[in-house]
Amino acid sequence: MPSTPQLSPQEEQEKLLEEALGVVKTQAFQMKRCLDKGRLMDGLKHASTMLGELRTSLLSPKSYYECYMAISDELRHLEMYLVDEFQKGRKVADLYELVQYAGNIVPRLYLLITVGTVYIKSNELSRKDILKDLVEMCRGVQHPLRGLFLRNYLLQCTKNVLPDSHEDQSVEGMGESGTVMDSVDFIQLNFAEMNKLWVRMQHQGHSRDKERRENERRELRILVGTNLVRLSQLECIDVERFKQNVLPGVLEQVVNCKDAIAQEYLMECIIQVFPDEFHLQSLNSFLRACAELHPNVNVKNIIIALIDRLASFAQSEEGSGIPPEIQLFDIFSQQISQVIQNRPDMPPEDIVSLQVALINLALKCYPDKVDYVDKVLETTEDIFNRLNLDHVEHGSPVSKELMRLMKIPVDTYNNILTVLQLQHYGPLFEYFDYKGRQLMSCHIINNALESETPIPAQENVESILNIVNCLVQDQNDQPDEPEDPEDFAEEQGLMGRFIHLLFSDDPNQQFLILNTARKHFGAGGDKRIKYTLPPIVFAAFRLAFRYKQLEQEDEHWEKKCQKIFQFCHQTIGALIKAEQAEIPLRLFLQGALVAGQIGFENSETVAYEFLTQAFSIYEEEISDSKAQLSAITLVIGTLEQMSCFGEENQEPLLTQCALAASKLLKKPDQCRGVSVSAHLFWSGKSQAKGGELNDAKRVSDCLKKGVKIANQCMDSSAQVQLFVEVLNHYIYFYEKGCEQISVQVLNQLISKIRELLPNLESNEETEQINKHFKNTLEHLQHKLDNQETAGQYEGLVL
Amino acid sequence: MSFFGFGQSAEIDIVLDGQENRRTAEIKTEDGKKEKYYLYFDGETVSGKVNVTLKKSGSKLEHQGIKIEFIGQIELYYDRGNHHEFTSLVKELARPGDLTQNTSYNFEFSQVEKPYESYTGANVRLRYFLRVTIVKRISDTVKEQDIVVHTLSQYPEMNSSIKMEVGIEDCLHIEFEYNKSKYHLKDVIVGKIYFLLVRIKIKHMELQVIKRETTGTGPNTFNENETIAKYEIMDGAPVRGESIPIRLFLSGYELTPTMRDINKKFSVRYYLNLVLVDEEERRYFKQQEITIFRRADKVRKNYQAALSHHNPSLLSDGSSARAAQQQQQQQQERQQNEEAEEDEKEDENDEEEK
Repeated sequence: MPSTPQLSPQEEQEKLLEEALGVVKTQAFQMKRCLDKGRLMDGLKHASTMLGELRTSLLSPKSYYECYMAISDELRHLEMYLVDEFQKGRKVADLYELVQYAGNIVPRLYLLITVGTVYIKSNELSRKDILKDLVEMCRGVQHPLRGLFLRNYLLQCTKNVLPDSHEDQSVEGMGESGTVMDSVDFIQLNFAEMNKLWVRMQHQGHSRDKERRENERRELRILVGTNLVRLSQLECIDVERFKQNVLPGVLEQVVNCKDAIAQEYLMECIIQVFPDEFHLQSLNSFLRACAELHPNVNVKNIIIALIDRLASFAQSEEGSGIPPEIQLFDIFSQQISQVIQNRPDMPPEDIVSLQVALINLALKCYPDKVDYVDKVLETTEDIFNRLNLDHVEHGSPVSKELMRLMKIPVDTYNNILTVLQLQHYGPLFEYFDYKGRQLMSCHIINNALESETPIPAQENVESILNIVNCLVQDQNDQPDEPEDPEDFAEEQGLMGRFIHLLFSDDPNQQFLILNTARKHFGAGGDKRIKYTLPPIVFAAFRLAFRYKQLEQEDEHWEKKCQKIFQFCHQTIGALIKAEQAEIPLRLFLQGALVAGQIGFENSETVAYEFLTQAFSIYEEEISDSKAQLSAITLVIGTLEQMSCFGEENQEPLLTQCALAASKLLKKPDQCRGVSVSAHLFWSGKSQAKGGELNDAKRVSDCLKKGVKIANQCMDSSAQVQLFVEVLNHYIYFYEKGCEQISVQVLNQLISKIRELLPNLESNEETEQINKHFKNTLEHLQHKLDNQETAGQYEGLVL
Repeated sequence: MSFFGFGQSAEIDIVLDGQENRRTAEIKTEDGKKEKYYLYFDGETVSGKVNVTLKKSGSKLEHQGIKIEFIGQIELYYDRGNHHEFTSLVKELARPGDLTQNTSYNFEFSQVEKPYESYTGANVRLRYFLRVTIVKRISDTVKEQDIVVHTLSQYPEMNSSIKMEVGIEDCLHIEFEYNKSKYHLKDVIVGKIYFLLVRIKIKHMELQVIKRETTGTGPNTFNENETIAKYEIMDGAPVRGESIPIRLFLSGYELTPTMRDINKKFSVRYYLNLVLVDEEERRYFKQQEITIFRRADKVRKNYQAALSHHNPSLLSDGSSARAAQQQQQQQQERQQNEEAEEDEKEDENDEEEK
């Protein structure tokens, strides 16, 4: 024997629904047949049997809804039939009474509503009285699900027949047709009753089903919300009426129901269905109600939704915006603090989110009012104090919200100077922990960089650097383990870029600015200053150039330049103390160049000092041979450029350079060093000659020395390479007209290279050397081929 | 009819005056069928004509006299032999003699007192009829003709509402109010139930109209309860503070006027029974007697009845009235509990009957 299979709850539901829909279909068919034959009473009986399906307690809300939809479709047929009959004059006396004989209340009330609607549409009886009667009689259904659907049917049926006029427009003797106020009363009552039923669902049944029940309630919420939609559709409700007659009742109901789900949904609903103009005029009542909501209601979301709506309203309609008599910000500010006070258990992150909304409102509606934003920050600070919250841990919800809050002014103003006007920005910043401050600081600095806001005053610099202090200096609360070097470099790189924003039109102010920056960044420790001090030095160099341009206007410009170089000297010194060598060396060289170019009173001394400083770094701090070579090359290059030195200063420098180059440790380095230093003696500037030195002898000596050193080179590949390089130097000077160099020297070198080259192992390096050499020869060939230059190279053997 | 198949026989036919214009009314017969009869009221003259038709022409009918009686009687079904006539009027139509042709006799009972309403119940029947008897030596020829009598009442001068607070301690307290204590047959009962305390899971609530027919006296009293109307007025469980409207139209139900102690033989009384059923199918009751009367038919009633509402004074003035009733209420509770037990039994019987 086959056993009955156990049905899952879902299958059970499907089965039940199918059965119910089957009955509905059959009865509806019978009903229509009777109606077609004009047998109204029989038709009503079938309708009543069909409606009996809505008496069930077995269907889930979802299935019940489907059943309800099927039935209300069929009832529409009945309604249309009756309206039709009434219009034809075939009125059924006492129909309204007749349907009330149905013994069961649910079918009876559905029929009553249907007939009531027909009466209204046919102008039978008083519309006002019928509406009142229907909404009152529905009290008989206290079962939440059945009651909700019944009353929804009431709303559905009366949708287009609610009175919506200021005056009663009824014709004499026809009964009152009612005014919009009757509609308001009608909907309000229905709303209150539906809400009660909806809330009641929460408290019925087992506590273990709570979650399922709450889900079911959420599925049904739209039924309750429809009341509010209806209210909003009444055209005769203006702002005044809304304030006086509509909103208070709705809010009272919402507040008094003390149910979190209902309150949350309905408050949102109010915000969504009524126009912004209404909200603007009734903010206080709405927000006061918010303060009285159940502790479990996420009141923050409600207020934020309202603020967002009003804020975008204020922005959308240019010109009209928020009426000036409505102190939008003050109202929200007061009411929000009331809400917070009423809810001692409100999580701090929610409090902060409210402030976020408030700040958004202030910025969107009153973009000019910085003090509004500041007030929000102040309030937030007060709240933190009250909550004894002095350490906002990164990653915590409060921290996220606070970050949101603090970023808004930055991102909205896109001007750090405006942010600095906020008195409470800095203090509030201190509530973050190290990581939070760090992220926020980077955000602020990035914003400043992106918007390229110049920072024009010493005080501004002071304030900003105090705020972003954690990027400037070590912090008490920073973590022990060092940061990821790349991140650190990036972060400090930002600060370096930021320094270039420090700019005042007034050079004196600019100097003060740089001093301030120097003071702050100087305290940043060895790891930071290599990123931050060089930009300061460069900024100082730039400032020196500006003074130079102002030499006509500012009689003290030279003194000031002197001071700047002292400042730079000292700053670079700080870098040296931090065991930096490469950077200070370059900065000194750059300083020497700048001093030379500006040419103020003492510039030669300054330049000399800077160059010698560079030398000492070279001698004392740079030990790596590669670094030495590139350092000496830089020194030589710098010196070659400079024209400010008299012979007295120049000679030791030149000698020292050539000497240093020849004293390099490795032979190839020596060779290259001396070859490069040859240029010093050719194109180095001479004050005495008023031009280039063009000291052919010393050039030649250098190059000879180069060849000699190359000869001493053991590595044959490197040797050939050096020969090719030296040959190029020779050719350069030969072409420049250095008389100490002859074609024979070139020939000798070329044949030497030719001789050595085939002995090299064939590899990539050799390939390169070969190519270099070939290119060199091609250059010479080209010269030979050229009529004009051929004479110069007479005797050259290729 | 003749026993031996010979001799004259006659048919009697009673034709009432103004018959064609007289209203009729339905009344149930004992076996539940409905029959229509002419309708008379108290004090109305009953007059008409008796036609005696001879079946065989040319033959005479010998009789000891012809009479017509107007009888009002109460029949108790368990005492078939004894009919209690509370009214019996006789008119002689013909003296003893012979009838040789069809003959008509006029009769008139002028301004007859008809103190009670015609009634057919479960155990008792009250009827009015005319009886024509042709008295003969062997067997009389008799013809009976029923009429229906309706008693009309004036609209009562005093018709206060019924209001009461009842309950079971810490479990269920309700106040209810029916707008009147006396209703006419086409009336509508309007009222409200106000829930003061609800600790039980109520499934639904209904209002019943119960007819109680009492016959006999003393130890031989029989009560017959019949639920005339069962009207659901609430679906689901209310909470404290809910008030549920009642509106019950009586005209759709088969009701008679309330009859109290009719000729010391029987009574018919009506009760409104408020029934609350909880999820465990326990039933909670409260019965209130109401008086039902017949009112002279009026022209079309106002439509307002169809949507009439009750605004009970009791409920609106709140606590003071309630406090005054506290004592009374506790007393009632005891009664209520007793009644509830009783009622429960009765109701079970009801259900079994189905």
